[in-house]
Amino acid sequence: MNWPHKDIVAIADLSREEIYTILDMSTSFKEISKRDIKKVPTLRGKTVVLLFYEASTRTRLSFELAAKRLSADTTALSASGSSFQKGETIMDAAFNVMAMAPDCIVIRYPYAGLPRKLARELPCSIINAGDGTHEHPTQALLDMYSMREHFGTLEGLQVAIVGDIAHSRVARSNVYGLQKVGAHVTVVAPKTLLPPGVRTWGVDVSCDFDPVIQEADVIMMLRVQRERIDEQCFPDEREYAYFYGLNKRRVDMMKPGAVIMHPGPMNRGVEITHDAADGNRSIILNQVENGVAVRMTLLYLSLGGNVNGD
Amino acid sequence: MAEIPRDSVQVQAMLRKLADELLDSLKAWDTVAFIGIRTGGDLIARSLVRLLEERTGKRVPVGVLDITLYRDDITRRRAYPEVKSTDIPFAVDGKDIILVDDVLHTGRSIRAAIDHIVDLGRPGRIFLLVMFDRGGRELPIQADFTGMKISLPDEKVIKLEPDAGKESIAGVIISEVKR
Repeated sequence: MNWPHKDIVAIADLSREEIYTILDMSTSFKEISKRDIKKVPTLRGKTVVLLFYEASTRTRLSFELAAKRLSADTTALSASGSSFQKGETIMDAAFNVMAMAPDCIVIRYPYAGLPRKLARELPCSIINAGDGTHEHPTQALLDMYSMREHFGTLEGLQVAIVGDIAHSRVARSNVYGLQKVGAHVTVVAPKTLLPPGVRTWGVDVSCDFDPVIQEADVIMMLRVQRERIDEQCFPDEREYAYFYGLNKRRVDMMKPGAVIMHPGPMNRGVEITHDAADGNRSIILNQVENGVAVRMTLLYLSLGGNVNGD
Repeated sequence: MAEIPRDSVQVQAMLRKLADELLDSLKAWDTVAFIGIRTGGDLIARSLVRLLEERTGKRVPVGVLDITLYRDDITRRRAYPEVKSTDIPFAVDGKDIILVDDVLHTGRSIRAAIDHIVDLGRPGRIFLLVMFDRGGRELPIQADFTGMKISLPDEKVIKLEPDAGKESIAGVIISEVKR
């Protein structure tokens, strides 16, 4: 098998076959995390630097555990506590990190486009851990993995993505990925939280949650990203919860066998209630578990082979 | 040197000979378990276990090992070895493991397999059984049970061919190395 990518910047770059390669391989990597000794020697001697210029719990920990379970060395740096605060530009920071010869940089950044620029300018592998409102490819891959694990297939699956579509990189990456594997996506949001051009995405768009619930196999709830919203998009959180929150009443309307997903962090009481998040339809913690396996696969594919072929 | 078996009848004869040897040397079958290295070793392990279960009347556990993540040449290869699953449906602790591979050559695969097994637990002993030993060792590793010692030029590879159901061995193929 040949893996042509040095970097993982966007789902938009991956073919359907490549997505399936990642999903298939992740099952093997998942087994490692179930062992007493959760470590294989595969990436011994490789260095992975995690540069997080935005808050993260899950993604950062998940990448770090994935790298460590493959025996790579990891160092994590966040915006607070780095020279970012002293006014160093991001490109200066990146060239300085590169001078210390990492094999891979995992980057999260508040604005779109930086991972692509780093991928072009730096010789090491770049993995995008979320750039602004652009993409979060590893999240979409772990979401697709979790859906396929649960339903056995992605083809024909009805997926509703609900909430702050406008500011969500998770929504964008999932839409690109799910379309490639033949799932059907409906995005649900108030008009103020739909991005311009959403009609060109090739998905169904609805501002009314209830009719969509009854059709969906997967309901993926998104957090309202207060930190990216600079104007008022809805009157208040209670009203948002009333129209777009997943609560007991709506859970009871779901199709038999349908599941609830959320990329985290959750704002309980806003987009999701306890009944939905902790009930037996929730596969939210499976998503987290699968995240480590999927990221192990991506590190293996990005670092495991010799890209130059010598 | 005897002729290399090519068809399923000759392979079956060799498997029966190996089963006889195992029955002669291993007395307590309660702790014995087989682990085949994907994919050739896996096929031999399952074929041998079928023979041994008939002869001993006991159930013999068998698992399959994927050694991709333990290889020492991962960053030297052009193509990415595909990672498949390891499936060992028993605890290896205290077991007498018969590690099975089709061909013993440099010994590097066996080194990787042993490293993998000890990550799963602490077996009592590990024995090595191979169908063909073609020499050319690069590590100090030898088999405890050998179907046949063979000599092949470097540019030849020897592989087992599974039957349609991938349950037993249909024959042995010798071909040129693809470069």
